[in-house]
Amino acid sequence: MTVQDLEGAAGVDLAADLPPASMHARRRPFTGWRRLLLGLSLPALLITVWSLAAASGVLSSRLLPAPVDIVTSARDFVFAERRTTIPGIVPFRGSAADHVTASLARWMVAYLIAVAVGLPLGMGLGLSRWVSAAVDPLFQALRSIPITAWLPIALVWFGLGEGAARYLVFVGAVSPIVVATADATARVPRALVDTARMLGTPRRDLARRVYLPAALPGIVTGLRLGLTLGWTSLIVGELTGTNRGLGAMMFAAREVGRLDQIIVGMVAFAVIGFAADFVLRSAARPFVRWADA
Amino acid sequence: MSAPALRASRLGKRYGRLEVFSGVDLEVRPGEVVAVLGPSGCGKSTLLRVLAGLEPPDTGEVTETGKPVRGPSPERPMVVQGATLFPWLGLRANLEWGPKALGRKDFAAVAEALLAATGLAGSGDLLPRQLSGGMRQRAAIAQVLANEPPVLLLDEPFGALDAQTRLRMQEWLVGFLAQRGTATVLVTHDVEEALLLGHRLVRLSHRPARVVEELALDLPLRRSRATLSDPGFVSLKSRVLEAVLDA
Repeated sequence: MTVQDLEGAAGVDLAADLPPASMHARRRPFTGWRRLLLGLSLPALLITVWSLAAASGVLSSRLLPAPVDIVTSARDFVFAERRTTIPGIVPFRGSAADHVTASLARWMVAYLIAVAVGLPLGMGLGLSRWVSAAVDPLFQALRSIPITAWLPIALVWFGLGEGAARYLVFVGAVSPIVVATADATARVPRALVDTARMLGTPRRDLARRVYLPAALPGIVTGLRLGLTLGWTSLIVGELTGTNRGLGAMMFAAREVGRLDQIIVGMVAFAVIGFAADFVLRSAARPFVRWADA
Repeated sequence: MSAPALRASRLGKRYGRLEVFSGVDLEVRPGEVVAVLGPSGCGKSTLLRVLAGLEPPDTGEVTETGKPVRGPSPERPMVVQGATLFPWLGLRANLEWGPKALGRKDFAAVAEALLAATGLAGSGDLLPRQLSGGMRQRAAIAQVLANEPPVLLLDEPFGALDAQTRLRMQEWLVGFLAQRGTATVLVTHDVEEALLLGHRLVRLSHRPARVVEELALDLPLRRSRATLSDPGFVSLKSRVLEAVLDA
């Protein structure tokens, strides 16, 4: 029996039950160049005011160097010929690739460990009242400790340099991943889980086939927050015990009073953090598009 | 008369001090639609969850073709009001879920047949949020019927729809269930829906719910919107409505 038969038998016109008209309505798109231009206009205005203030002498270069000096330093950082490295001295000229690579490597390793720990822990907290009751109080207490407070103990545990830096990135990244994953998992509607069970889905497959995809939009938010917080924690880890990395470069610049170099480091942090978030968001988008309002 | 597909005997359920229902006897035979009618909050949905095996009863027993029910099963799925489709999957993938979970190789053919039978043939690639409320409910019913269960449990499946769409969906469901011969328990607080869809009416009291009336509905088997103005239907509706209001 086809739908026409059923319709005919019952005198029902199922075609009258159409998708909502709102699905066809479109708000005027606000994307692409228009959005980019608007996003760039505020920084452009600030830089213009800053340049004028520096050129007129209102703003002392000792407090804040002129944008043009920062651009010159950035050019030196990226393109200048690199001088011979002296042990114990953190290089600046021509060393951008070296510092960025070192920071990215530390960050990526620690972030991946945070994801590997945070996702199962967060799902465990969201799925099991027992795990939640046992782990959540300790976890909430630990995550209230500021990242800088972890530095001394990280230095004792992991020594100066690589280990401590990675540990601090891990601490910064893991909390939002766990919290967002636990929250998103706990909020998965019971009706979806019941339906999966009534369709014959084995209990052991529910976490992978129902909870994970249903919680994914929330989990992605946690991954994005963890990515950014891990990246910002990196600077604390690179303050001591290493000659390589953006944080090490900025700390060395502070010791010689080079505000222009510090700001170059800050801009590098901002650009890389923004780019990493963009990449993660774009990679996750096909999997969470269903949750778009 | 055929043996009951599902039988509940002296069923009782309580949450702490709150007694939800007690001493409920219920049975549904193949091809029969039993409409369970009761006031809001009387425990109808809990009763259906117990029948589905999603919650254990505190007293009594549920059996399916003579075997005790110990948990949820593809043999006895329940459809609730609102969406139970997996929102991250397209409609076709939603309908394929059940047959795939049971290891059936013909999942694609099953899904296509159900898409056609529910008037959703052109919508297989759409996500649930891209469908209207009526389309979603039809798809949710089709999703659980993909496993060809002998028993279907419906918990106010059209409660969230507007009056016109609800009537269209009720007419569709009458034909759809008649064609398949699925034993169905329909829980509703809507007297008209109970009379339009049910072959037998079981009326529950306020909480703690008990069966206060059981009534074979002597109405045409294939009902439609025309049935609503049938004198027999109107008088029966009036009688049941009075009984519900006086309860």
